[in-house]
Amino acid sequence: MKHVIQGLGRKIAGSPGALLTALAIIGSLGLPAMGMAADSGGATTATAYRDIPGIGSRNLVWIIAQLHLLLAGFVLGVPIFAWVCEIVGWKSGEKRYDKLAKEFTKLLTSSYATTALFGGILLFLLIGFYPKLMAYLTDIFFPSFLVYCLLFLLETATLYLYWYGWDAMQDGGKKTFHVFLGFLLNVFAFFIMIVPNSWATFQASPVVISEGSDLARAWAATWNPTWWPVNIHRLIANVVLGGYICGAYAGIRYLAAKGTEERNHYDWMGYVGNFIGVFGLLPLPFAGYWLMREIYQYNQQMGITLMGGFLSWLFILQAMLIGVLFLGSNYYFWLGITHRIPGSEMRYRKPILTMLVILLLCLGVWMTPHSLVASLEEARKMGGTHHPLLGVFGVMSAKMTVANLMILVTFMSFIMYWRAGKEETATWAKLAKAVMSAVLVVAGIVVVVLGVWGYFVPAIVRINYFSTSQVLIVLFVMLTITPLTALLLKSAKTTTEMIWGRMPPRAGYSLVLNAVMVILLMTLMGYARSSSRVHWHIYGVMRDSSQYAFSPALGYAAAFMALNTFLFCMLVAFIFWVATMGDKAKAPH
Amino acid sequence: MSEVTQLQLIGLTVVGTGVAILLFIKAQFARVIGFVAIVLGLFSLVALSVPQMASLPPAEEKFDLATVKTPADMAAIGQKIFFSKGQCALCHSIGPSESARCPDLKGIGAKLRKEFIYESLTQPQAYIYLDYRHEGPPKEYPARMPYINKNPIGLSKNEILSVIAFLQQMSGEPVSVSPAELEMPGAAPAAPTKAAESAPMAVAQAH
Repeated sequence: MKHVIQGLGRKIAGSPGALLTALAIIGSLGLPAMGMAADSGGATTATAYRDIPGIGSRNLVWIIAQLHLLLAGFVLGVPIFAWVCEIVGWKSGEKRYDKLAKEFTKLLTSSYATTALFGGILLFLLIGFYPKLMAYLTDIFFPSFLVYCLLFLLETATLYLYWYGWDAMQDGGKKTFHVFLGFLLNVFAFFIMIVPNSWATFQASPVVISEGSDLARAWAATWNPTWWPVNIHRLIANVVLGGYICGAYAGIRYLAAKGTEERNHYDWMGYVGNFIGVFGLLPLPFAGYWLMREIYQYNQQMGITLMGGFLSWLFILQAMLIGVLFLGSNYYFWLGITHRIPGSEMRYRKPILTMLVILLLCLGVWMTPHSLVASLEEARKMGGTHHPLLGVFGVMSAKMTVANLMILVTFMSFIMYWRAGKEETATWAKLAKAVMSAVLVVAGIVVVVLGVWGYFVPAIVRINYFSTSQVLIVLFVMLTITPLTALLLKSAKTTTEMIWGRMPPRAGYSLVLNAVMVILLMTLMGYARSSSRVHWHIYGVMRDSSQYAFSPALGYAAAFMALNTFLFCMLVAFIFWVATMGDKAKAPH
Repeated sequence: MSEVTQLQLIGLTVVGTGVAILLFIKAQFARVIGFVAIVLGLFSLVALSVPQMASLPPAEEKFDLATVKTPADMAAIGQKIFFSKGQCALCHSIGPSESARCPDLKGIGAKLRKEFIYESLTQPQAYIYLDYRHEGPPKEYPARMPYINKNPIGLSKNEILSVIAFLQQMSGEPVSVSPAELEMPGAAPAAPTKAAESAPMAVAQAH
C-alpha cells in the first residue's frame, strides 16, 4: 500500500499538467450533475450567476480560493527560503544548509501540483458560478492569461531542473549554475505571483480604458494603483509563511524526535525557520502601511470602510494575531538563549523581562479600539464613543508608535540571540556597542516623541511626515545595527558553544503557534481585502447583484478563516508526510 | 438559537476537543492537532465576541413622485440616502466629531447655495481641489471627495437633490429644492448604478 501511495505521489508530483487535464474532464462531467441553480434573466439574457445548494457558491469559492492562495504563498515562499539556505550552505561550506534547502525543495514538486489542482478547481468554479464577471475579466486580461501560461511552463521546467539536478550539480561551476537555476525559479515564481495579483487588485482599484489595443487595455488594468503595494506585501508575506511553516514542521518533528541527532537537526531547523520568518516579519508592517496608504489615496471611502467602518474591529483582531506572532517569535528567541546557551539564564533574565513588558504594553495599546459600539446610556456616561481614558490609545498615532516599538524590540531580541555566547575581540568593539546603544535609544525616543506629537498636528501632516519618519527611523536602526553586529561578530570569540536539541517541548508548540498565526492573518486580510469592495465585483465598475452581495459579520467570517487554516495545515502536513515517506523507509533501523 | 450562539457552541466544542486531545492522547502529531484546534477555536470565540456587523448593499430609495409632495418629503428621503447609499456619513459628520475625517456638514445648507452644493457633489475637483488638504503640484489623485453621481456611489439627480434638501433642512434653512425639479421616471437618464451593471459588457462588446 505504501508503495502504491508513493508511486501515486510521484506521478502527481511529476505531472501537474496531466492532473489538470484529468480535473478538467472530471469537472466538465461533474458540474452539470450538481443541481446548480442558474440566475438567468430569460433565454436571451446571459447567465450572470449560478449557485450550489447547501454550502452556497460564495462559501465554496471562499474555501477553494483561500486554500489555493495559501498553497500558492507556500509554493512561492519555499523556493525563496530554499534558495537562501542553499546560498548560505554554498558560501559557508556548511552542508546542513544545503541538506535543508534540498529537503524543502523536495516538497515543492508535490505542493506545486496540489496548488495547480486547487487553481484548476477554483477556475472551474469561478467560470461556473460567475460567468459574467469572468467573461469581463477575460476580455480585459486575456493577454496576461497567455503570459501566465508561458510563465508556468518556464517555472515548471526550471523547477524540474532545479530539483532533479540537485545531486548532479554539487561542485564547481555546476553548483554556480544550480544556484542560478534557483534564482530563475524565484524570478519566474515572482512573476507568477504578480500576474494574478493584477487581476485581484484590478477588482479593488480598477483602471478601465475603453480605447487602445487589447494589450494597452490589459496593461492599464494591470498597472492599477494597488498592484505594486500588494505585490511587495505578498512577496514579503510569502517569505514569512515559508519560514514559519518550516519552523512549524521542525517543531513537530522535534516533538516527535526519538534520537539525539534527530532532535539536534530539527531544533536547528526550527531556529532557521523562525529566523527567516522574523526576518520577513519585521519589514512586513511597512509594506502593509504602504498598501493602506495607496488604498486611501485611491479611494477614501474604501480606506475608511477598512479602517473606520464595519471592518474596523477586524483590525483589532489583526493586532491580536500580530501581537501573538511577535510574542511567539520573541518567546522562541528567548527560549533559545536560555536553553541552548548554557549559563545565560540569569544574564538575560532582566532584558527578556523588560522586552516582554514592553511588548505586552504595546500590544495593549494596539488592541485598543478606535471607537466603541456602546449603548446610548454608555455613550453618555463615557461622553462619546471614545473611552475617556483608553480612547487616547485607539488612534492611529498611538498604534503606529507601538507597532514600530514592537518591531524594534523583536529586532533587539534577534540581535541579543545573535550575540549570545560570543565575546567581541575587535579593538573598536566598545565604540561600536556604544554607537549601537545610542542609535537604539535615540530611535526609540524619537519614535515615541513623534507618536505623541502626532496628536497635535493635522492628520495629513502625521500621515505624510510623522508616520513615514517613524518607519524610516526603524529601518535605519535595522540597517545600521545589522551590518555593525555582523562585522563585530566576524572576529568574535565563542565563549559558550550553542547546544542544539535542549529546547523544551513548548518551543515546538510556539513554532506551530507562529505558523498558525501567520496563516490566520493571511485568511483575515484576504477577507478584509475582499470585503473592502463591499457590494462590487469590480469596485465602481461591475456591481455584485447576486444574493451574496454582502460581507458577512466577523464572527461568521472567522469561522471560515479557522476552517480554512485547519484545512491548509492538514494539506501541508499531508504534503510533508508524502514527501518524507521515502526518507523514513531509507533510514537505517 | 441565533447564528452567533451556534458558532460559539461550535467554537467551544473545538476548544474542548483540543483540550481533551492534549489531556488524553500521547501521539505527538495528534497533540499538535489538538493544540491547533484550541488556537483556532479561541480565535473564533474572540471574533464572535466583538460587535457583529455585516455589510449589506445599500437599499435603493424608491422615488414614487406621486408621494413626494413637499420639500420635507424630499429631505426625509435625502436623510436616508445620506446615511446609506450616499455613504456621506462615512467621512462627514453633522456637528463636531472626533472620528470625522472630512469637513463637518452642520450648517452647510445655510452657508452654501444649492447650486454650489450640487456642483460640489458632482464636480468635486472644481473648488475643493484648491482648498482642501492639497499643496504643491497636482497629484495623481487630487480629490478626496468622490463624484457622487458616478460609481461606486452613483446617486441619481433626484437622489442628489433630496440630499441637498436634507442638508438645508438640518441647517434650519428653508429648503430651496422643490419637488418640481425631480425628474420623471423615463425622462431621467438611467441611474448610474444601473448603467454600471451593463457598462462592462458594453466595453467587452466594443472589442
